[in-house]
Amino acid sequence: MTKKPKVAIYWLGACGGCDEAIVDLNELLLDVASSVEIVLWPLAMDRKYDSIQRLPDRSIALSIIHGNVRNSEHEEMARLLRAKSELVLSFGSCACFGGSTGLANFCGRDSIFEWVYRESPTVENPKGETPKPKSTVDGHSVTLPEILDHVYALNQVIPVDYYLPGCPPPPDLIFHAITAVLEGKLPPRGAALAPQKALCESCPRNNTKPPRIDIKEIRRPHEVEVDSHVCFLVEGVICMGPATRGGCGETCLRINTPCRGCFGPVEGVEDAGAKFLSAFASLVRATTDEQVQSIMEKFHDPVGYLYRFTQPSSTLGKRTKSRGTV
Amino acid sequence: MQPYEPTIICFSCCFGWGYLTGRDVLSVRIKHWVPVICSGKLDSTHIMKAFREGADGVLILGCPDGDCHFQDGNYQTRKKVHLLHKVLASYGIDPRRLRMELGTDPDGDTIPKLIQNMGRELRQLGPLKVNGQAVEA
Repeated sequence: MTKKPKVAIYWLGACGGCDEAIVDLNELLLDVASSVEIVLWPLAMDRKYDSIQRLPDRSIALSIIHGNVRNSEHEEMARLLRAKSELVLSFGSCACFGGSTGLANFCGRDSIFEWVYRESPTVENPKGETPKPKSTVDGHSVTLPEILDHVYALNQVIPVDYYLPGCPPPPDLIFHAITAVLEGKLPPRGAALAPQKALCESCPRNNTKPPRIDIKEIRRPHEVEVDSHVCFLVEGVICMGPATRGGCGETCLRINTPCRGCFGPVEGVEDAGAKFLSAFASLVRATTDEQVQSIMEKFHDPVGYLYRFTQPSSTLGKRTKSRGTV
Repeated sequence: MQPYEPTIICFSCCFGWGYLTGRDVLSVRIKHWVPVICSGKLDSTHIMKAFREGADGVLILGCPDGDCHFQDGNYQTRKKVHLLHKVLASYGIDPRRLRMELGTDPDGDTIPKLIQNMGRELRQLGPLKVNGQAVEA
């Protein structure tokens, strides 16, 4: 019997949606499962971490890692899987760019702790306790992973071989990625296993877009009913399509929801938010400071829109994590 | 110890600023001077990159209202700068670190003065920090 390639699927700071996307392979999952030996998948299997520690280095053919690195346990597991794996696939927006919880980097750990455990009106915490990496309870010492001071994308902690963005990545790209690994038909290391062009290129609404868009009023999705074939930007609704990598299957657009940018920047761009900012500003019809002010004041929470998935990998937000630092 | 001198990157439009003086002459007089074909050519990513790579401030010099050689390049930059101020504030960066001046100076003699004025203000703010931390090299 030939030895099947070993595959690990692991979550770091994640919601579990990426695991659900793998389960959404449906019957194809059975084909995948029969061609590989899954050595770790906390969502579906009961395997202990020490079983991974006992494996020889680089003995896992592929580790699919989703979620960002937010605490010391995430970091430890990311480093362990890197050491044991031939290939690491950074899977989903959180692993690729830091994801939506990366917006926490705009606040900092201490102020988040202060709000969540002390200041929030729904909190009853007279002693002002906060989670600590080590505590003593009834004479016993208990430990928790330490929350890091920053949310990191996976490649800021360990070297990553391939990227598959999306919140979550769609099943067709997941299947293609896994098949490419099994068949050895991979692009050069460092590539994203997704199309290179912007979402607008494949958007079904692109056909009805006028030659020039002039936004005179910014409107939020609930303030206007956009026809299902009309470009959101024409109606003044912020859609991240111009600066977001395509390949998602346009699932949001098909249910009449503008793109939120989960596929991250297009090939060659580092800062998706800044790139969209430039694209969007050019569509706004304003010349004087007063006009600019009057239209842009309805752009609520700009960084929330621009960096919804990409703050930790943005030009100003990116940081690298070396071992032993918090 | 040397007194703190802020690093200011100055992007200026070739059609409005310093076009009568040789670039080699002006680039000796003005440190970190980047002439661009039009201020509208500047992308937000260039400004982010300038801050990331050591700028304490960015000064953009564009053509006067209604006088852009390319019709509306200066207006395009005005809109970007407006939004960038909000984005930079979220990173904990004072909006005074990004300034845009519209005007014209064919000889470019006033550019060093504008940089000096901005530098005076930035000296009060101190070295750039992003979310309270020094920028990682």
